[in-house]
Amino acid sequence: MAGELLICVPGQRLCLCDKVYTSGQGTYERQGYIYSQLAGYVDIVEKDGVKIVEVHTSGEQTVVPAQGDIVTAQVNIITQQYCKCYIKCIGDAVLRRPYRAVLRREDIRATEKDKVEVYKSFRPGDIILARVLPITEAHTYQLSTAENELGVVIAHSEYGHPMVPVSWTQMQCSKTYVKEFRKVAKVVPENINQQRLIKRAELVTE
Amino acid sequence: MAEQYRSLHPIKYYRDYLVHNVRPDGRQFDKFRPVILNVGSIDTADGSAIAKVGRTTIVCGIKAEFCRPKAETPDQGFIVPNLELPPLCSPKFKSGPPSDQAQVLTQIIADIIQHSKCVDPKDLCIFPDKLAWCLFVDFICLDYDGSLVDACIMALMGALRTVTLPSVDYDPSLDNKLVNLEERKHLPIHSTPISATFVIFDDKIILADPTVDEENLCTGIITIVLKGDDLCCIHKPGGSPLTEEELFEYIGKSKKRAPLINNLIEAALENINK
Amino acid sequence: MPIDRKRINGPEETVPYNLYTKLNTKSLLQEFDELFCDGKRADNRAPLEHRKIFLKTGVVSQAKGSAYIELGKTKVIVSVFDPREIPNRTDYSLKGEIYCEFNCTKRRLHQQDAEEKQYSAIMKQALESTVCRHEFPNFQVDIYALVLHNDGSPLSAAITAAGVALSHAGVPMYDLIVSATLGIQHNVKFLDPSNTEQRLCDVSISSDGKEDSHGIIVISMLHTHEQISQFYQVGNISLEDITESVKVLETACKDIVPLVQKHLVKHILKTIKNNEDYVILVSS
Repeated sequence: MAGELLICVPGQRLCLCDKVYTSGQGTYERQGYIYSQLAGYVDIVEKDGVKIVEVHTSGEQTVVPAQGDIVTAQVNIITQQYCKCYIKCIGDAVLRRPYRAVLRREDIRATEKDKVEVYKSFRPGDIILARVLPITEAHTYQLSTAENELGVVIAHSEYGHPMVPVSWTQMQCSKTYVKEFRKVAKVVPENINQQRLIKRAELVTE
Repeated sequence: MAEQYRSLHPIKYYRDYLVHNVRPDGRQFDKFRPVILNVGSIDTADGSAIAKVGRTTIVCGIKAEFCRPKAETPDQGFIVPNLELPPLCSPKFKSGPPSDQAQVLTQIIADIIQHSKCVDPKDLCIFPDKLAWCLFVDFICLDYDGSLVDACIMALMGALRTVTLPSVDYDPSLDNKLVNLEERKHLPIHSTPISATFVIFDDKIILADPTVDEENLCTGIITIVLKGDDLCCIHKPGGSPLTEEELFEYIGKSKKRAPLINNLIEAALENINK
Repeated sequence: MPIDRKRINGPEETVPYNLYTKLNTKSLLQEFDELFCDGKRADNRAPLEHRKIFLKTGVVSQAKGSAYIELGKTKVIVSVFDPREIPNRTDYSLKGEIYCEFNCTKRRLHQQDAEEKQYSAIMKQALESTVCRHEFPNFQVDIYALVLHNDGSPLSAAITAAGVALSHAGVPMYDLIVSATLGIQHNVKFLDPSNTEQRLCDVSISSDGKEDSHGIIVISMLHTHEQISQFYQVGNISLEDITESVKVLETACKDIVPLVQKHLVKHILKTIKNNEDYVILVSS
């Protein structure tokens, strides 16, 4: 990626905004031109004959959760009606400051919603994958785990040992073999090769 | 991926590194971070210094003012240290009155100044029971990345050594003071306390000069302040218990580091005197 | 005054020693003549010459974005944090908010005084126009500025640094923002005044009772769109002088921009290089 990089700073005029070029992430349009919003490098993505001009930061970007985002959250408090959690990552982006969110009982599962019990789905300390629901008047984010791929990914048993999933409703402690109920996520690696790369990266850095 | 792991399971993330005898920032367990000291950079103060320990940055400014000595100690001046942790230095802090942490640290620093006797309050007296100097020593943290006491003490010593006080003609019968700004004198410094901070991780691993993450995750923290070869003060607010041998080991480690810091302060002062 | 129990208090009454120095009985006019003679200022600058600017990003490791700026001896550090929920708010706001805090490290009361509050408000106004606030509804971005050493024009320094810190933090912005200060006294315009110059510009010093233009102007400019996002003026300045001054300030801002751009580009290249090194490390 070296050499050909187009560096830009906020407010820099990038190109005309016409039928071919449209404004994408990290840019905005004003009076027929596309301008950059960020300090970073320009990336042009071609999609259906349209070129989307995007700007990516070289460092961390400042993002807040938006509707439809898949987020990683940590469960903090559970009650009979809902559980409160902290959003820690949006997609791949790690947040420096966690955001509060609520996961209501009826949003835990897609089917048999009235039979769901919060304490049989999540426990404080669990790491979950969830989707952000449309933002309402309420101030905290609302999450949903009503998809197969969403739910608990990392959990510890009552004795503090890590647990492994045994079914989509149960997890087992790796030390004591006690089974506990959870709304388990079916984790599909986005890119298996990428994971292998990361493993190697960890080895190298060690 | 590593970043996510760090955010979700910080303790495990650390343990994975510590098993391999290395810390996430690449340091060995007993390795201290590089230190930088810059003195006399703020000329509106009577003495100043900026100390950096790794990324932790502390600015220390000393301002001298006139005051009347206390009746019970008529021959002594005052040293008033205060540490400020502004919201600028870390997202943990809010603006407003000093947090508990700032108050605790301020008290530690005040104790160290008092016990090390680096400045004799008697030197600050101009005329007994009538006039004395009050040194306001203000610390401002610009970047909060652990081992704050170490940085504060280093900044303090750098700043104290640059303090110059103007000469004063005092006429006690008329209560007349006349300050001669041209004639400034250095403050006598009697000793140089040097502090070193360690954290205890999982009750057994000892890490020197912790970063803020390490301070947050540790099970115990200990700050050792030395004055030359003598022990000046140890601050260990609870946490994991220590055996006697372990304690002596830390003291030995901080002793080894002391000459280094001493040299640094001398070198910084030499630069400015040139 | 109630006792502050959260700090170590010194003796009840202290007096700065400067009060007892031999009094200098120079009039302001004399001081002005000393400061400005033969078309040169005290620090050997021409009236419309800006001081050298030094910029550095990433000085506060705990912050999302940070910048340090030096205008001669004026030193300001600014840090920007992640958006957070607006405390004590019940209604929904479509646009995010910006919270600015401007602090001087002068030894004074620990609460923000009126001047600092006013500067905070000006800074907020200046930056609101450049940050894409619709990107983070219901949140506020905290910006803290700390003046380490005040030698004139601290507000301009803080605004310019805040612009750099915001883009370092990756906060979406419409444009780069830069700011400049100008002082007027006795028909002389001082660009980027030092502390003494600024003090002299604050008051009328003419002896014959005739009102002369005197005062301070601070403007902030959005570079690409050539808009003035903030204008602040104190003192008594004639309209012609204001028009002229704004022109001077505009050119001054234009001169600062390349410096900021250069710095940002350098920063981007550096981070990209670091990332690349990491990638190479992984694939090797």
